Amino acid sequence: MGPRGKQIQQLARLLFRLSLVDGAVSPERVAGVLSYVASHRPANPVGVLRAYHRLVAESLARSQAVVDHAGDVSDATLQNIAAAMAKRYGRPVTAVARRDPSLVAGLRVRVGDDVYESSIAGQLSALAASV
Amino acid sequence: MSTVLEQIEQEISQLSAKAGRRNTGTIRTIADGVAKIDGLSDVMYNEMVQFPGGAIGIALNLEEDEVGCVILGDVSQLKEGDEVSTTGKLLSVPVGKALLGRAVDALGRPVDGKGPVESTESYPVEKIAPGIIVRKSVSQPLFTGIMAIDSMIPIGRGQRELIIGDRCTGKTTIAIDTIINQGKINKVGLASGDPKFRPVYSIYVAVGQKNSNIVRTIATLEAAGALEYTVIVAAPAADNPANQYIAPYSGASIGEWFMENGMDALIVYDDLSKHAVAYRQISLILKRPSGREAYPGDVFYLHSRLLERAARLEGKGSLTALPIIETLAGDVSAYIPTNVISITDGQIFLETDLFNQGIRPAVSVGLSVSRVGSSAQIKATKQVGGKLKGELAQFRELAAFAQFGSDLDARTKAQLDRGSRIVELFKQPAFNPIPIEQQVATLWAMQKGYYDSLDLSKVMPAAASLRDFFATRKDALLTKIRTKAALDAELEAELKQAADEWKGSFGS
Repeated sequence: MGPRGKQIQQLARLLFRLSLVDGAVSPERVAGVLSYVASHRPANPVGVLRAYHRLVAESLARSQAVVDHAGDVSDATLQNIAAAMAKRYGRPVTAVARRDPSLVAGLRVRVGDDVYESSIAGQLSALAASV
Repeated sequence: MSTVLEQIEQEISQLSAKAGRRNTGTIRTIADGVAKIDGLSDVMYNEMVQFPGGAIGIALNLEEDEVGCVILGDVSQLKEGDEVSTTGKLLSVPVGKALLGRAVDALGRPVDGKGPVESTESYPVEKIAPGIIVRKSVSQPLFTGIMAIDSMIPIGRGQRELIIGDRCTGKTTIAIDTIINQGKINKVGLASGDPKFRPVYSIYVAVGQKNSNIVRTIATLEAAGALEYTVIVAAPAADNPANQYIAPYSGASIGEWFMENGMDALIVYDDLSKHAVAYRQISLILKRPSGREAYPGDVFYLHSRLLERAARLEGKGSLTALPIIETLAGDVSAYIPTNVISITDGQIFLETDLFNQGIRPAVSVGLSVSRVGSSAQIKATKQVGGKLKGELAQFRELAAFAQFGSDLDARTKAQLDRGSRIVELFKQPAFNPIPIEQQVATLWAMQKGYYDSLDLSKVMPAAASLRDFFATRKDALLTKIRTKAALDAELEAELKQAADEWKGSFGS
């Protein structure tokens, strides 16, 4: 990363910090940041916004449990998962279901960088790796 | 068949017992064996990272919003956006006696086609060197089998002795000679059944070497019967820089196992110049700030933490290190040579001029030194070779002066004559280490003037003939010298009788 890239990262981080209210991304603040970038046009606005987008997406992913499932998942199960994750991470987490037939059976829950795998596809790949 | 099915079922039941958690990231960029990864928020420094397709990476740069990983293995299948995950493990290699006689890569995987390595234990590749309290001073000799080194620059078990010189000056040959000599000593010692005998196991780490050279080295060791006591760790020039960077540490871990388990080991790093170059490449791609000669700031630590792992431990074994450094045009004041010289306990400096004059091994006596000194020598060698280094140094000084004048006094002439005889005596063919007891006999004969009457060109054949004579006819005397390790009046008398007998047969 050159000096230019570093400046972009620094500005994106600054904008990201300004978008937080109590540690969570606030839609109003994000709108404010976007209008500021549109009106003030920093150097390489596309680069700044891309870096900003990545930071916001990472932050949002940390408070969202994406539940991949092959079979059916009831709302109660989703709520249970959300509650368990909220307890584990000590922050509010919402659960979103996403159908993925490639799992064969079972669930895969993703919260930020962490992946909790309890699916046949995951077990098969682990077995393949261990043999 | 049913046991195989049971094993698989057991594995499945273990795997399906609970949901596994892993910390993941995605590849943002990948180039030259280094990947920049988004995510991996839980990754630790030096942790192994699992890439798709079975490739392993090591997390070397932990930055605010990305992780820099070097990849060990095939990177051709990896692409941007691939998911990677942490393993919670540090990079480790298999260790133990099962590796003896084998050639493995930087991760301890066999590359010699002799099947899997039957090893049950593994050691982490990066380990903190032993501290002060557990260490013991170096006092036991490690014989290289090279007369010029064993008599003037003795190496002890647990020492770090650098072999430095230009290309094609015989650096690797000295290291291979030493390994072959250990093999020979091990064979004799283990056959004698002496409970006090401590074999030395060798590890040869080839970094950035040509594959053909590695194959030749293995063939040489095999032909000399030393391969069965040796582990080859190969990271050839065609390997990616990450493997070349890791290989010396893997070798050190394999050596540490012997040391920790009460055995003695010798490790050769061939060579650390190429290791530094591989590390420079990784560091530049990781965008670490570069310093002198574009090496990163921690290039000293790169080698100091590696060489500090060689030690002699109280109540345990030892690990002796022979790092090799290649200089350019004899420049020992370059960055990497000065670094490694300051870390090691001495150096064997090889000179191109000497090599071209036919003085092989081309050891420069003036610039070579062993900081452990004579404490790592047996008494017999001290008795016969204690003054040799001084005499040779004097000879070099006088020889430089003698070039300008022809009128020399008798004393100077005698000194020059003696010096040139010592130089002749120290010439030794490659891969032909001389056992220490034979070295003692050769040097004793020199000290007593047995070669003085001979023509200069006859000194080397005479010394070889003397050794042959002792090996074939005076084996009992050689065994006595080896076991007593010191010359007393009785042994000297026997030596004199044997040497006189030889003189009669050689003269005729």
